[in-house]
Amino acid sequence: MEGQTRSPFRSLAVAAAATTVLGAGYATDAAAQDKFKLGMAVGGNPCCEWMKAQGDVARAIAEQRGWDYIELSNNDDAATALKNAGIFIQEGADAVIQFNGQPSANPALAQRFAPANIPVVTYDIAQPGFYFVGIDNLAAGLAGGEALGNIIKEKWNCEPDLVISAEGAAAGIVNEWRTGGMRDGLKKVCPDIPAEKWVSFESQGQATVGLPAARDLLAAHPDAKKMAVVGLNDGGVLAAINAAEQLGRADEIIGWGQDGAFITGDNVNPHLAGSVFYFLEGYAVYAIRDVIDAIAAGNPPPMKDTAGDPASRVEPCPVSAEEAAKVPDMPERVKLLLEAPPGTTAYELFCPNK
Amino acid sequence: MAEHAIGHAAPAGRPGMRFRLDGWGTAAVVALAWVALVAISAINRPDFVSHQTVLAITFTMSIVGVLAVGQALVGVSGGFLDLSQPTSLILTALVASRLLALGLDLVLAILVTLSVGAAWGLLNALIIVYGKLNPVIVTLATNFIGLAALFLLFAIAEAPIDSAFRAFGRSSFLGLPNIWWPMVALVLVVGFLLPRTRYGRHAIAVGGNRFAAQARGISLRATRFAIFIASGVCAAIAGLLFAASSGPFTPASGTVYLLPVIAASILAGVSLGGGRGNIWLILLSVGFLSTVPTALVFFGLTSDWQAIFQGAILIVAVAIDGYREKSVAR
Repeated sequence: MEGQTRSPFRSLAVAAAATTVLGAGYATDAAAQDKFKLGMAVGGNPCCEWMKAQGDVARAIAEQRGWDYIELSNNDDAATALKNAGIFIQEGADAVIQFNGQPSANPALAQRFAPANIPVVTYDIAQPGFYFVGIDNLAAGLAGGEALGNIIKEKWNCEPDLVISAEGAAAGIVNEWRTGGMRDGLKKVCPDIPAEKWVSFESQGQATVGLPAARDLLAAHPDAKKMAVVGLNDGGVLAAINAAEQLGRADEIIGWGQDGAFITGDNVNPHLAGSVFYFLEGYAVYAIRDVIDAIAAGNPPPMKDTAGDPASRVEPCPVSAEEAAKVPDMPERVKLLLEAPPGTTAYELFCPNK
Repeated sequence: MAEHAIGHAAPAGRPGMRFRLDGWGTAAVVALAWVALVAISAINRPDFVSHQTVLAITFTMSIVGVLAVGQALVGVSGGFLDLSQPTSLILTALVASRLLALGLDLVLAILVTLSVGAAWGLLNALIIVYGKLNPVIVTLATNFIGLAALFLLFAIAEAPIDSAFRAFGRSSFLGLPNIWWPMVALVLVVGFLLPRTRYGRHAIAVGGNRFAAQARGISLRATRFAIFIASGVCAAIAGLLFAASSGPFTPASGTVYLLPVIAASILAGVSLGGGRGNIWLILLSVGFLSTVPTALVFFGLTSDWQAIFQGAILIVAVAIDGYREKSVAR
């Protein structure tokens, strides 16, 4: 069976098609009932292209394995994630992979999946009882912060006028790890930046959504010229950079992002000095290679549910803008990843700093 | 100004006089609130009065102001609200970004984008007029359908970063953002033309009393088409300014504009019941509403407070509109 939803708006648009496909799925023969069934809950936040790509890669690998595949969208919403858990249970999924951008819902999700004996792989946000696959967000934050710190040290002798944090509070602990980690990494290189130089705004991880708040923040610091930006992701960091451009203060603003969403391609902002790739689109390779394949074979691996001791670790790949120019953009990466020998990760294929 | 035309829309001359006072009363209240906000903010932090603050506020005003003109036109004509603006904004921004990325001539790209905006308005009007449906529900539905279609079309888009179009969106003229001037021009031109052109007067008359307007031979259909197409064109202008001045955007990036746009329209005295409103007052209402979030930051409040204030202002504006309606009824 194969169904798919992406977001509240997308789900409206594709409802008819999905219903048809679902109907066809129910009509399949009894043999299909014996097939391994993988459930995938994509994040569903419209912020990020990789959320869709995570589902595309999982689907392609599941099809390569000849599994049934169910894809639902968490719509970046805790209640939807809970509802989706019920659907996976009802549909008899043998294992579920999820990206849940609302970490507060994870304990409730665990309470639903545990009685149904459905093993769950969770990306990036650890939950006791769920196989952890993902990045060490704190390590990724520290790596990005140190990289930006080195630039600030060389360029401004560790004396910026402002260090701006582009927060994404809805991401909870992930925001603290990444954005806070970047601040800590920067402090490792430049430990004497006074406390009053550190300011924050809520970017929601999106360039256009965070733009007005960033603009107002910069207006409230009219004398700041040398500005460094850290943040939850590239989108949030770009909000501050774009605000500086609008206010005519882009000459001395430098940002370093996280997630690598806007550091590749031919439209990269020149003030985005670098980012940390996780190659989020390719997480399914790790999850399926190191966890799901074993479950499908009837030999579930031992539970490893912490970021410190994960079931599968995704390596962060900090890159400067120059290095990132050699990395293909996301659609090309997805294509190359699916053409590579099974089990090959995006990190192995694309990270220039291996 | 619209008040002149409002006089035409009113069933008798004396109520028209009262409307005029209502309009200027609204202007005075908003202007006073704006001056008070600026004064308090400047006392709190003298550096509030700076060119950077002016730039921040005027950038915020630009896109909201253009959308508010379209919203006000729909409101004045009795259409209540155009809730499809978030979709039309992003649709047209996407068209402009993609055409420019393909290397299309800038003027041609602008013309195509404006045509797409007009077509979106035409689609709304077709459904409203021939389906004989409530404009609020129709535009709510087309907004959902349009957003869903946008999600199927793209995830992230951005106009070419090194293009003249983007350079225009980031630059200033006479110390104010380039994208602010088209907004001001649009407000002034539409505010001037609305009570002085046939379609404008018809729109106000239909909004004031559709049955009386029809009795005078005014076509409700033609007016609806004209107004929704104009609203679509306004959204396209906003889409162009948005694409020129913003970074990468997603299909849902336009949703944040709806609340301030509706608040700006109502604060400008545009009646939710139709027939009343002064387009020129949008400059005041958008200016005031755009100053609020900037001032909050100077007071050390986080951006979370902005939505609270904007929502509260919307409630106050609706309450004022209700009071005005009752006054007119008396």
